[in-house]
Amino acid sequence: MIFALILGFALLLIGIYGMLSQKNLIKIVIGFSIVDTGVHIIIVSIGYLRNRTAPILNSVVDLGKAAQQVVDPIPSVLVLTAIVIGLAVTALMLTFVVELYKKRNSLSIDDYQELKW
Amino acid sequence: MVNPIYIIILSLLAGFLLSIFDKGGRKLSLTVFYSVLTFNVFVIADWFYRFAILGVSTLTINTAGFSAPLSINLQLGMLESFVLLFANLAGLLSAIYLIKKFKESKISSLILYLILIMGVNGLVMTRDLFNMFVFLEILSISTFALTILTKNKKSLSAGFKYMIAGGVASTFFLLGVIFVYYFSGNLNLEFISSNDFTNYGLIGVFLLAIGIFIELKPFPANGWALDVYESVNSGIVAIIAVVNSAAIIFVLYKILPLLPTVYLSVFTGMGIVTYIFSNLVGIRQSNPKRLLGYSSVAQMGLLAASLFYTTKLGVSQNISFLIAGGIFINHFIAKALLFWIAGIVKKNNIKDWSVLRNNIPLLILFGISLLALSGLPPFPGFWAKWEMVKVFVGSKYYIGLSAILVGSLLEAFYLFRWFGYTTKNKLNKETMEQVQFSQIFPIIVFVLILFFTSFWIMTNVYSLNYFNYLPLVAIFGMFLISFLRSKVKAIISIAAVVLYGYFLFPLGMSIQLLFGIIFIIGSGIVIISTINRKNTGKGFYGFLLMMIFGMGNLIIAESFLAFFINWEFMTIAAYLLILRGKRAKIPAIVFITFSLAGAYFILAGFGYMPNIANNGAIINTIGTIKIPLMAMILMIIGFLVKSASFGAHIWIPGAYAEAEDDVTPFFSSMFSKTGIFGIILLAISFIKQTPDFDLFYWLGWLGAISAIVGAFLATFQEDVKKLMAYSSMSQLGYIIVSISLLSHLGWISGLYLTLNHFMFKAMIFIAIAGVIYRTGTRQMYKMGGLIKKMPLSFITVLIGIIAISGVPPLSGFGSKWLLYNSLIEKGWFLQAGVFFFASAVSFLYLYRMIHSIFLGQMKYEHQNIKESPIWYLIPQVIFIIGIMAISMYPNLIIQPLNTIVGNYFNSSIVIDGYNVTSSLGYWNGNMVMYVTMGVFAVPLILLLLINGRTQTVKQFNIVYAAERPESPQTTHFAHNMFSHYYKALGGLTKPRIQSFWNYVSEGTNSLAGLFRQIYSGNGQTYILHIILYIVAIYFIMGV
Repeated sequence: MIFALILGFALLLIGIYGMLSQKNLIKIVIGFSIVDTGVHIIIVSIGYLRNRTAPILNSVVDLGKAAQQVVDPIPSVLVLTAIVIGLAVTALMLTFVVELYKKRNSLSIDDYQELKW
Repeated sequence: MVNPIYIIILSLLAGFLLSIFDKGGRKLSLTVFYSVLTFNVFVIADWFYRFAILGVSTLTINTAGFSAPLSINLQLGMLESFVLLFANLAGLLSAIYLIKKFKESKISSLILYLILIMGVNGLVMTRDLFNMFVFLEILSISTFALTILTKNKKSLSAGFKYMIAGGVASTFFLLGVIFVYYFSGNLNLEFISSNDFTNYGLIGVFLLAIGIFIELKPFPANGWALDVYESVNSGIVAIIAVVNSAAIIFVLYKILPLLPTVYLSVFTGMGIVTYIFSNLVGIRQSNPKRLLGYSSVAQMGLLAASLFYTTKLGVSQNISFLIAGGIFINHFIAKALLFWIAGIVKKNNIKDWSVLRNNIPLLILFGISLLALSGLPPFPGFWAKWEMVKVFVGSKYYIGLSAILVGSLLEAFYLFRWFGYTTKNKLNKETMEQVQFSQIFPIIVFVLILFFTSFWIMTNVYSLNYFNYLPLVAIFGMFLISFLRSKVKAIISIAAVVLYGYFLFPLGMSIQLLFGIIFIIGSGIVIISTINRKNTGKGFYGFLLMMIFGMGNLIIAESFLAFFINWEFMTIAAYLLILRGKRAKIPAIVFITFSLAGAYFILAGFGYMPNIANNGAIINTIGTIKIPLMAMILMIIGFLVKSASFGAHIWIPGAYAEAEDDVTPFFSSMFSKTGIFGIILLAISFIKQTPDFDLFYWLGWLGAISAIVGAFLATFQEDVKKLMAYSSMSQLGYIIVSISLLSHLGWISGLYLTLNHFMFKAMIFIAIAGVIYRTGTRQMYKMGGLIKKMPLSFITVLIGIIAISGVPPLSGFGSKWLLYNSLIEKGWFLQAGVFFFASAVSFLYLYRMIHSIFLGQMKYEHQNIKESPIWYLIPQVIFIIGIMAISMYPNLIIQPLNTIVGNYFNSSIVIDGYNVTSSLGYWNGNMVMYVTMGVFAVPLILLLLINGRTQTVKQFNIVYAAERPESPQTTHFAHNMFSHYYKALGGLTKPRIQSFWNYVSEGTNSLAGLFRQIYSGNGQTYILHIILYIVAIYFIMGV
C-alpha cells in the first residue's frame, strides 16, 4: 500500500512538473492526465488491505465472509467515477486545444497570453 | 410540494432528451428548456416559503432506498433553499437574457446550461463529500464548455486556462475527499466530526478546504478566472460570477465544521488579503468585464472571510446570517446586473461607456447596481458591513477591519470613477443598438428584488423609524413626477421641505432647533433660487430633497445606525448633485472618495460605541454614554473631512466650483455644517463624562490652522467660487475652534458663527450664482464694474463680506467679539493671535472679490447685462433681512443661544437689555449699529451739502488721470491681484497637502500596477501560482 501511495504521489508530482515545464498544449494536457492517474492510484491504494482480493463478488469470494475477504470497496467505486470524470475533462481540454490550434495555428501556451493584467 | 430531487432528475432527463426534442424544432426544445428552469425556481420558491414563513423543519432526502451513510443523502433547509432560490432565479433570468443566443447556438449549449444549473442544485443540497466532488465536476465541465458559447480566440484561450487551473484545484479537492474518508471512515458530512482528524489526519481536511478555497479564486492564485470574466459572453459570466460562486461558497460553508480554528484564522486572513488586493489591482483596470471580475473575486474573498470569521468567533446565527447573507445577496444581485448591463453596452473600455447616456433608464439601473455594489445604504451590503465592523471591533481584529475598509474604499473608487466616465465623458454620435426586452427584463426583476430585500432588512431587521425612509421616498417621488415642469417641481420641493420641518422637528429651544433652521428652513429658502432654471433635467430635485432630508434626519436620528444611514444618503445625494456640473467628473470622484473615507472612519468609530438607550434623538441621549477615545478620534476625523478641515480640504475647491452654481450654496451653507453637527454631538458626550485626554485642545489647533490656511488659499484664487470655497474652509475653522473651547461662551460664539456663516455664505453664493449666470464666467478678472448693472447683487455681497469680516456693525462683529472673548477667557492666546491674523487675511480675499467683480471698469462685453433674475434676488433679500435683524437686535439670537448652551454649561454671560456682558467686557449690538449708522450718515450728509454739483462722466472719461485708457483691462487691476503677497510668502505657497494626496494617489496606482504584473497571461504561471499558494498556506497553517 505504501509503495502504491508513493507511486501515486510521484506521478502526481511528475504530472505537475510536466504541466509547468512543457510549453506544448497537448503535453500540458498529458501532464494533467498524469496528475489524474496519480490521484487515482492514491485513491485505490488508500482502500487497500493486505492479503485481500478485489471487491468483486465472484467464485473466489465467500459470500458470507465477503467483508473480511475483500479490500475496502468504496475507494474502488470512487476511482471508477473519478476516472470517468477525468476522461471527460481530458477530452474537453483536447477539444479546446484543437479549437485553439485552428484559430491560431500554434500549440505553444506562450502564444495565448493576450489576456492579462 | 415537490420533492426537490426532481429538480436534479428532471434537469438530467431534459438534458438528455433535449437533442431529441430539438429535432422537432428549436421552439420545442426551448420550451422544454425554459419550462425546466422555471420548474426549478417554483419548486425551490415553494420550499423556501415553507422553511422561512411556515417554519417547516429541514428536509432530508435519502436516495436508493437506504438512509445515510449507506446512500447519498440530500438536505434542503432554510439556508439551502435561500441560496438555491437565488441560484435558480439567476439561472432562469440569465437564460432569458441569452434567449437570442440560445435560438441560434447549437443544442449542446442548452444542454450544458441545464446541466450547469443542475450541478449547482446538487452541489448545494448534497451531504456526501464524494458526491460533492462529482457535482463540482459536473458544474465545472459544463462551465468550461459554456465559456465558448461565443467562440473566439480570447474566450478559447481563457477557457483553456480556466480548465487546467480548475482541474488542478479539483484534483486537490478529490485528494482531500479521499483522505478525509481514510481518516474518518466516512464520506457523509453527518458522520464526520472534526475530532476524527489529528496530526496527519489534518492533511485531509486541509486538502479539502484548500481545493474548494482555490475555486473561490483567492488572490494571487486567480489569474485564470479573471481572463474568463473578461472574455466570455456576459450572460454566461453572470452565471459564473454569481451562481457558481454561490454554490462553491456554500460547499465551503458545509465543510466549515470540520476545520480547526487555526485554519479559520488563516482563511479569514486570506479572504481579506484577496479583498484588499483585488480591489487595489482593480483601480488600474479599464476593461469593464475584467474590472467586474476583480470586484467579484474581491467580494468572494470578503464573503469567505466573513464566513470563516463569524464561525471562528461563534457569532450568533442571526448576526452571521445578516453579515454573510447580506454580502452574498448584495454581490449576487449587483454583479449579475452589472455583467448583464456590460453585455448590453458592449464597450471594452469604461471610458467609452458614455454611450449609455442614450438609454437613460438603463443608466439609472446601472447607477443603482453600482451603489449597491459599493455597499451603500439601503442595499444589503451596507447592513452587512455595519454588523461586520461591530464584530471586528468587538473581537479587536483591527488589521482585518482596516483592510476591509480600505478595500471598500478602493472598490467604491473604481466603481464611482466608472460612473463618472459614463455620465461625463464626451458622447460621440454613435447610438446604442436597440435593447431587447429579453435583456432588460432580467435586469428589472433583479433590481426589484434588490429593493425588496433592502426594504425588508430595513423594516424587519432594524425596524427603523419611518422618517429614515424619507430620503428614499423623496428620490422615488420626484422620479415619478419627473414629467412635470421644473418650476412646479421646485415649488413641490419647497412644500415638501416645509412639511418635513413642520411635522418632524421639535420646536423647543435646543441645538436641534438651531440646526433645523439651518438645514431645513435654509434649504427651503435656497431652493427658491433654483426656480430660475428653465429645465433642470431629471433627478435634480430628487437628489436635492434626498440630501436635505438626509441632513435633517441627522438631527432627529434615534440610533447610531439611523444617523449613519442618513449620513450616507446625504453623501450619495451630494455626489450626484456635484456630478451634474458640466466639468464635474474629477471633482465628483475626489469628493466621493474623501467622503466615503470619512464615512468609513465614522463607521469604524460607531463600531466602538457603547449601546445607547433608544429613546429620542441621539443628540439628546448621547450625554448619557461615555464615548471611548478611539471612537472619538475616528469619528472626528470623519466629521472633519465633511467640514473640509486642513488636511482633507482638497476636495472643496473642485466640488464647490464645479457643482452647478445654484447648488453650491447648499454645500457651503448647509452640507458643510453636518460635520460641525457631528463634532457637537461628540462634544456633548465629552463634556458630560469626565474625559481622559483633552482631544479638543488639538482639535482647536486644527481649527486655527484651517482658518489661516483657508484664508491664504482663498486670497490667491482667480475663480470666485474657489475663493468662496476656501473662505468656507477658513470660516469653519473658526467654528471648530469655538466648539473645541468646550465653554459656555465658546459654544455661544460657535453656534452664533454657525448661524451667521450659514446666512452670509448662502446669500453670497446665490449672488455669485446670479453674476455667473449673467456673465458666463467664474474668473473674477474677466468681470469688473458690475456695480452699475447689478446693484442688488452688489449690496448682497457687500453686506455679506461685512458680515464675514467682522467689522461693525453687522453680526460678524458680534461673533468675532464672542470668539475672542471666549478664547481669551480660556487662555488660548496663541490661537486668538492666529485668528486675528486670519481675519486680517480674510480682508484681502473679500476685498479682492468685491473689487474685481463689482468695482473698477466694466468690460465691453458686459455693457448690456442685467441684474440677477428675480428668483436669485428673493433668497438674497430674505438673508439680508435675517442678517440685519440679528445685527440690529442681537438678543434675537444671543438669548436663545444662551438658553441652548445653558443645557450644557453654566452661563458665563449676563444679558441685560441690549448689553451682553462677559467676564471681559460688554457688547451692545444695538448701540454699535446706531453709532456706525451715525458715523456713516454724518459725512454722507456733509458731502451731499458741500458737494452738491456732481457731474456724471462716461466710463473712459478719466481726463484727470492724464492718460487715455485703451481698454477696461488696463485700468482695472484684477488679474493675479495679490502676486506680491504670493511672492512674499515664498516657500509657504507650495501646495504641500495637494502634493501629499497626489503622492498617495500615484503611490496607490503604482502599487496596483506592480501587483497586477502577477497576472502575466500565461496559463502555466497561473498553475504555478496555485501550487505555490497551496504550499504557502500549508506552511502558514503549520499543519
